[in-house]
Amino acid sequence: MEFARYDVNRYSPRQMVALPLVILLLALMVLGYTTLTTGLPVTPGIDFAGGTAVTLFTSESKETIEAVFAGYPLLSVGEGIGGGRYIQFGPMDDAEYQSLVALINERYPDAKIDQIGETFGETLRSQAFLALLFSFIGMTIVVMIAFRNLVPAGAVVLSAFADIAVSAAVMQALGIPLSLGTTAALLMLIGYSVDSDILLTTRLLKRKGKLDEKLAGAFRTGIIMTTTTLAAIAAMWVVATAGQIQIISEIASVLLIGLVVDLMNTWMLNAGILKGYILRGEKR
Amino acid sequence: MNSKTLKKLLKDWRVALLLLLVVGSLVGIYLIPPNPEKGFEGNLQFGLDLEGGSWLQLEFQSVVVGYSTTGSVDDLVTNLQTALDTEVIRIDENHLEIRKDIQRDDLEPIFAESGASIVTYQKGVSAYTADEVKRILNEKVNALGMQDARIHLLTPTGSGFPQYVRIELAGVDMATAQEIVGKQGVFEIRIQTAGNETQHVLYGDVITSVSVPQKDPYTQEWGVGFTLSDAGAEAFREAALRYGAVDNPSAHHLIMLLDNKTVYSAPLSSDLAAQLRSAPVRSLSATTGTGDAGLDAAMALEIHLRAGALPVKVDIVGSGSVPAALGEQFKTMIVVAGLLALLTVGLVVYYRYREAAIVLPMVAINLSEIIILLGIARFVIQLDLATIAGLIAVMGTGIDQLVIITDEVLHEGRVPSPSLYMKRYERALGIIALSAATVIIAMLPLALMDLSTLRGFAIITILGVLIGILVTRPAYGKIIMAILSK
Repeated sequence: MEFARYDVNRYSPRQMVALPLVILLLALMVLGYTTLTTGLPVTPGIDFAGGTAVTLFTSESKETIEAVFAGYPLLSVGEGIGGGRYIQFGPMDDAEYQSLVALINERYPDAKIDQIGETFGETLRSQAFLALLFSFIGMTIVVMIAFRNLVPAGAVVLSAFADIAVSAAVMQALGIPLSLGTTAALLMLIGYSVDSDILLTTRLLKRKGKLDEKLAGAFRTGIIMTTTTLAAIAAMWVVATAGQIQIISEIASVLLIGLVVDLMNTWMLNAGILKGYILRGEKR
Repeated sequence: MNSKTLKKLLKDWRVALLLLLVVGSLVGIYLIPPNPEKGFEGNLQFGLDLEGGSWLQLEFQSVVVGYSTTGSVDDLVTNLQTALDTEVIRIDENHLEIRKDIQRDDLEPIFAESGASIVTYQKGVSAYTADEVKRILNEKVNALGMQDARIHLLTPTGSGFPQYVRIELAGVDMATAQEIVGKQGVFEIRIQTAGNETQHVLYGDVITSVSVPQKDPYTQEWGVGFTLSDAGAEAFREAALRYGAVDNPSAHHLIMLLDNKTVYSAPLSSDLAAQLRSAPVRSLSATTGTGDAGLDAAMALEIHLRAGALPVKVDIVGSGSVPAALGEQFKTMIVVAGLLALLTVGLVVYYRYREAAIVLPMVAINLSEIIILLGIARFVIQLDLATIAGLIAVMGTGIDQLVIITDEVLHEGRVPSPSLYMKRYERALGIIALSAATVIIAMLPLALMDLSTLRGFAIITILGVLIGILVTRPAYGKIIMAILSK
C-alpha cells in the first residue's frame, strides 16, 4: 500500500493541513460553479430532476439502443457486464411515457423501469437537503458534547465537512449524479468520517505517552480500519456495477471516493490541527 | 483454548447473549413458521425490486388552507365551492381542505371576498381523507385477491398533511397496476317491487356528491348523505311512486349494488316517502345503525357510493416496475456481493494481523452481526436493494470497530494483565460508543423522513450499529481476550 508509507510524523502541522485545505478550496469552487450554472452543487440524477431510468439486459449494441429510443428524450446509455444496460431519459409527458413503456415492454420484456415526475423530484430534492442538514447539525452536536473542547471538536467537524464537500466535487467531476442513493452515501460518510477522527482524537488527547508514538499508533489502526471498510465496499461496488444494480453501484462509488478522501482529511487535516494544538499547549 | 476457558466464556453474559441472538434469529428466519419451499430465503421479506412487481406514487390534487375570518365560515365554504367548482371540507376550527390543485395566489381573492384571509397554505389532504384513500385502494386491491399490496401515505417533513400515497403491488406489471388504481365500479340503486323482484332506479353517474359519515344527534344512528342530480332525483321519485313505495314504504327496500353485489339494503323511510309524494328530493341519507358497527358500515358505504372513485383527484408522479426474473437475478448478485465482501474483509484483516486466532473470530462476529440484523429486519422492514447496501456498509463499520478493539487491547502485540485489559477494553468501547452515536444521529433524519425510499437503508444502518455496540462488540472483546490469554 502506497499510502501506508506516508510518515504521519514527518511533517509540521502547517505542512500537513496545507494540501487538504487547498483541495477543499478547489472542491468548494467546483461545487460553487455547478451551483451557479445548474442551481445545485452536484448535477441531479433522475430522482431529483425527474425522468425515467431503465435497466435491461440485451446483446444489442449501444448504437442500436440509441436508434431504438431516438424519438424520446434519451440522456445516456450505460453499459455493464453481461449485456446489462442502464438507460436514462429526461422528463416527458404522460402520453410519451406510456408509449415508451409500451415500446420497452414489447422489445425488452424483462426491463426494470422507474419514472419520477419533475415536481416529485423537486420534493425529494428539498427533503434530501433537509436530511443532509439535520445530519450534519446532529453530528456537530454529538462531537461537541463528546469532546467539550472547541479545537479538537472543530477539527473533527471540519474534516467531516471536507469529506462531504470533496467527495461531492469528485462525484461531479466523474459524472456521478446526486440521487437518493448518493445522498444516503454522503450521509453515511459522516458516520465513517467521524469514526477514524474520534479514534485519532481519543488516542492523542486521552492516552499518555509521546505524541509521535501515539500518532503513529493511531495511524496504523486507522489505516487498517479504512482499508477493511474499503475492501467490503469495493466488493459491493464490483458486483453491483457488473450486475447493473444501479442504486448499490452508486452508493458504493460514493463511499469509495469518500473513504479515500477521508484518509487524507483524517491523517493530514485533522491530525495536523490536533498536532498543532498539542504542540502549542506544550509550549505554554 | 481448552474446554475450561470455553465453558467460562460461554458463561459470560455478553457471549451468551450473542449466541442466543444468533440462534434466535436463525430460528426466526427458518423455523417460525417453517417455510421450506422458500429455501434459503426463509421468512425474510423482500422489497419490490427483489421480488418483482410495480409501484405507483400518487400525488393528491388538493390543498389544505389555514384561515382566519371575521365573517361566517359557511359562507366562505359556499363561496369557495361555487368559485372553484370543487368540494371544500372543514377539517377543524381553522383549516379547510380544498380538493383542487390550486395556487395560493389564486385563492387569496376568493378568501378576501368572504372577509377571510389565508394563514397557511400546504399541498395535501386531511388525515381523514388520506385514510379514506388508503381504505379505498386497499379494498380495490383486496377485491382482486391480491395479498401482497403495500400502501403508504407520505407526509413531507415540514408539512402536517399527507401529500402522496405510494402503492406497491408484488407480481403485477405496471399497466395492470395503473388499471387497478384507475378502475371504477358500477354503482346501481334498485327498488324492491314485490317479494324478491327488484327494478332499476338509477346508476352512480347521477350521484353528484357523497358526504362523510355523520351521526344523527337524536337517533344516534350513523349515516351517509348523498346528493342526486335533478334528473336523478326525478327518476328516484318516479320509481317510488310507480311501485307504491310512497304508500307502503316498509315493504319496499332500496337496494344498492356495486358491480352487481348488494352493499346496502333498507326500506324507504316514512319521512322520505311523505316528502316524495309532493316533490323530488335531491339530498338523501342512508342510515347504517348505531355505535362502532354503524360507523364501520357507514365508512364502507361511503366508499361504495363513490363506486371506488377516490374522493380526491390523484396524479401519478412516479412509477416503476421490476420483472420477477430480474429481481431473482438481483437476489443472486447480492448474495455474491455479501460473500465477496466478507471474504475480502477477511483477507485484509489476515494481511494485517497474520493470526488466524484473531481473523476467524472477527469474521465470525461480522457474520453473526449480519444474521442477527436479518433476524430483526424480518419483523421491521422488507429488504430491498438500498437496504442491502446498508447491510454491507454496516459490515464495513463493524469490522472497523473490531479493529479498534483489537489494536486497543493488544498493545505492542501482547495481551496485558486482566485489569489493564479491562481498562483498555472499556476505552475502546468508549471510542466505539461515540462513533456509533454519530452514525445513528447522521442516519436519523433519513430514517424518520417519510418521503424517502431510503428509509430502509437508514433503519438497517442504525439497527446494525445498535446491535454492534450492545451485543457483538462487547462479546468480541471477551472472546479475543479468552483466545489470546492462553
